[in-house]
Amino acid sequence: MSHINPNFAKELERYGAKDFNLCFNCGNCTAICSLSTKDNSFPREMIRFSALGLEDDIKSSLKPWMCYYCGECSTDCPRQAHPGELMMSLRRWLTAKYDWTGLSGLLYKHLSAYIIGFLLVIVGLIVFAAKLDWNQEKIMHFGHLFEMFAIAGVFAIILLPNIFRMWLYTIVRPKVKATVKVYYKAFSELLVHMFTQKRFLECEKLQETQIKWFEHFILVIGYLSLLFTTVFLDWFGSENMFIIALGYVESAIIFVVTFLFILKRAKKTEALHKFSQPSDWFFVIWLFLMGITAFLVRLFIDIGILQNNFWLYLVHISVLVQWAIIIVPFGKWTHFLYRSFAMCFARILELNDMKK
Amino acid sequence: MSIDKTKYDALVVGGGIAGQEAALSLADMDYKVLLVEKDLSIGGKMIHLSKVFPTLDCAACITTPKMSETARHPNINLLLNTNILEIEKDNGIFSIALTIRPKYVKEDLCTGCQLCEWVCPVIVDDGFNNNMVGRKAISIAFNLANPKVAAIDMNHCIKCKKCEIACVPKAIDYSMQPQNISIETKTVIISTGFNLFKPENKPQYGYGKYPNVIDAMQMDRLIAPTRPYNSVVRPGDGKIPDKIAYVLCTGSRDTSIENAIGCSVDCANNPICSQICCMYSIKQAQLLMGALPLADITIYYMDIRAFGKGYEEFYQQAKGMGVSFIKGKIAKITQKDHNSGDLILRYEDVTTGTLKEAKHDLVVLSVGVLPNNEIAKVFTNQKLELDDQRFIKQVDELLSPSLTSIEGVFVAGTAAGPKDIPDSILSAGSAASEAASYINNI
Repeated sequence: MSHINPNFAKELERYGAKDFNLCFNCGNCTAICSLSTKDNSFPREMIRFSALGLEDDIKSSLKPWMCYYCGECSTDCPRQAHPGELMMSLRRWLTAKYDWTGLSGLLYKHLSAYIIGFLLVIVGLIVFAAKLDWNQEKIMHFGHLFEMFAIAGVFAIILLPNIFRMWLYTIVRPKVKATVKVYYKAFSELLVHMFTQKRFLECEKLQETQIKWFEHFILVIGYLSLLFTTVFLDWFGSENMFIIALGYVESAIIFVVTFLFILKRAKKTEALHKFSQPSDWFFVIWLFLMGITAFLVRLFIDIGILQNNFWLYLVHISVLVQWAIIIVPFGKWTHFLYRSFAMCFARILELNDMKK
Repeated sequence: MSIDKTKYDALVVGGGIAGQEAALSLADMDYKVLLVEKDLSIGGKMIHLSKVFPTLDCAACITTPKMSETARHPNINLLLNTNILEIEKDNGIFSIALTIRPKYVKEDLCTGCQLCEWVCPVIVDDGFNNNMVGRKAISIAFNLANPKVAAIDMNHCIKCKKCEIACVPKAIDYSMQPQNISIETKTVIISTGFNLFKPENKPQYGYGKYPNVIDAMQMDRLIAPTRPYNSVVRPGDGKIPDKIAYVLCTGSRDTSIENAIGCSVDCANNPICSQICCMYSIKQAQLLMGALPLADITIYYMDIRAFGKGYEEFYQQAKGMGVSFIKGKIAKITQKDHNSGDLILRYEDVTTGTLKEAKHDLVVLSVGVLPNNEIAKVFTNQKLELDDQRFIKQVDELLSPSLTSIEGVFVAGTAAGPKDIPDSILSAGSAASEAASYINNI
C-alpha cells in the first residue's frame, strides 16, 4: 500500500529538484525522450511518483538511472517543469538512499558538510605529515600506499554494501526471482555500460550527442587508466619512459576534458547545465584539480624541482584524499557504479519478463 | 452621403466580426463611425471558416449579411487597405493619421465584373486559401469580399496593361499613390483580433518540412463551401486522406517555444489556453466524417475544454460519431518513409502511461491564438497598456470588460484575449454601448 507524502517535494528540492510540481501531465517529456521505451517509459512516471511522494516506488525503480540527461525533455517541456533536472535530483536522492552510512544525504543537503569534510582532510594531512617530520620520501611512500588502501577500503566498506542495498531495493524486495543464468547473462551488460556508456549514444541530436559521449568516454578511460598507472605502475616513482609518458597523456586528458565541463557548467547554455548543485561542481573541479596537480607533480619530478616545491605534492595529495574518501564514496562519482549496475539489473528484469 | 469625412463619433479599428458588430451597433444608434481595415475586404478571420461550432451553421452564410450591412450602412464609412499611423488624444478628441495604400483600381468605378482577372497573365499565391491555390495578380480579394473591388498586387504585376484595356469603366490606375489623411473622432474601439500561431515555430511538428502536416486554418479552407478543391486532399500528393490526426494545443499552453527557436516577440511562449482549438477541431472532425465517411479521425488532446453553451454536447456527439480522442501531447512528428508521405506521431497515452507511436497520412495542427497588438504602438501621447500575455489590457476585466488604459478607447473581441465568435460579438456589443455612453457624457 502506497502512502502519499506531499512533503516529499520539499525533500527533493534539497537534492536540486526545480518546479516539477508545475507538471500538468501531458506526457511530452516521455514521448520526446529517445531512451524512453514502451516497457520502460519515463520521466513523467517519475514526476508523478515524486509529486505524490511515493518513495517506495521511486526507491525500487531503476528508471532514474536509465536517463542520461540529454536535456530534451526539459527544453521541450510546455510547463518548464524541468523533468530532466527532476531525474537528476532523483539520482542524487537514490544515491543517498543506497548509502548505508547516510553521509551521502548529509553532503547533498548541506554544503557545509562538504566544506567541513574537506577541511578535516587537510588538517588530518598536516598532522600526519608533521608526525612524519615532513619527510618527503616517507610522505610520498604513504601517499602511494594510501591510494591502494583507499580504493580497497572504500570499495569494501562503502560501495559494495551500497550496491547490495540497491540490489535489495530493486530486485529482492519487488520479489524478482532470477536464475543464476539470468544474472550471468546480464553481467555482460554491466561491463559494457561501465566502460562504454553506449546507451548515451542513443540520445537524440546525433552529432552533439556523439561529441558529448566521446568527451565523457575518454574522461572515464583516462581516469581509470591513470588510476591504474599511478597505483600499480607507480607513475611518480617509475623511470620507464613509456609509463611516464602514459601518465602525462592520461592526466592531461582529465584536466582538459574536465576544464571543458567546468566551462559548460558555468555557461549554462544547455538544459543539463542550468542547475548545478555543489556536488556537481565538486565532482568536476576536484577531478580537474587531480588531473592538473598529478601532471605538475610528475613534471616537477622530471625537471628536478619537486624537492624545493614540495607544497605541490601536498596539494595533490590533499585533493586526492578528499576525492577518495568524500567524493568517491558519497558524491557524484558513484553514478559510475550505480548506472552500470542499473543497466545490469534492468537487463535481469527484462530477461525475466521475456521468460514469462 | 451626408458624412463629413474628417469628423466622426467613433473610429473602429479592424473589420472582423467584432469590429463589424461594434460599428453596426453604434451606427444604428445614429453615431457616425469610421471603420478602418488593413486588408482589402472586411470579414476578418470568420469569413475564412467553413462552419461554426456548435451549430454547424455555414460561417459565410451568417457573416456575409453582416458584412453587407456594415458596408452599406449610411452611418458607417469604410476605409480598406488602410493603416493607422498615429493616434493622439487632445482635450478628449482623438486625432488620427491614416494612410490608404493604393489598390491601383478606382473603388468608385470598379464594378467587380472580374474581366481584369480573366486577362491577367500573372498567377500569384492565393493568401485567402492559405496559398494552397493560385489567383491572378489583379483580383478581388476573395469571392465573398466586401466591397467587391479588384486590386493589383504590385509586387507581382508586370504592367502589361491587359487589365487596363479590358476594364470597361476604366477603373485601373497604375499611378495611384498612398494617400495620407487625418480625421478626428470622439472615441476609438480596438477590434484588431488575433494572430494564429505560426506552426513553423514548433519545429518538432515538422510544419513546412513535411507536406502532409497542415494547420487547422488550411483544413477549414479545404472543407469550406468556398473551398479551393472539390474534395479534401492532402498537399503532399493529392491523396484523399483516410487516417487524419489533430494535434491540439499547438502553440497554446506551451512555454517551450522560445527554447526551440530562440525568438522573442512574435512567436513568444504562450502559456494560456486559446479557448477555440478544441471546439474548432471537433467541428472539423465532424465535418470530415461527413466529407470522408471512410476516414479515421483521431484528436490528440491534453484536456478537452468544451465550456460554452452546447459545447459539451457537441463534443459527446463527435465521440458518438466515432472520432477517437486520445489524451497525450504529441511530442514530435516524423516522416520516416518519404514515398508514402505518412507521418509518425510520438506521444505518451497518459490514461495508461504507455509510450506510443501512431501513423497518420494527414496531420492537422490545431494552432492557438496569439495577440495582435501592433495598434498599441500608434498611440503617441497616451499608453495603451497590454496584459501579461500582451493582449490589450482590460483595466476592469470583470465589471467593465471593454475599458482600456486610455479613457475613450474601448476593446472588442479577441484583441483583449482568446474568444469564440459568440463571445466576440457579445464583447463588441459591450464596447459599443460603453462607447455610446462615453460620447454622450463628453
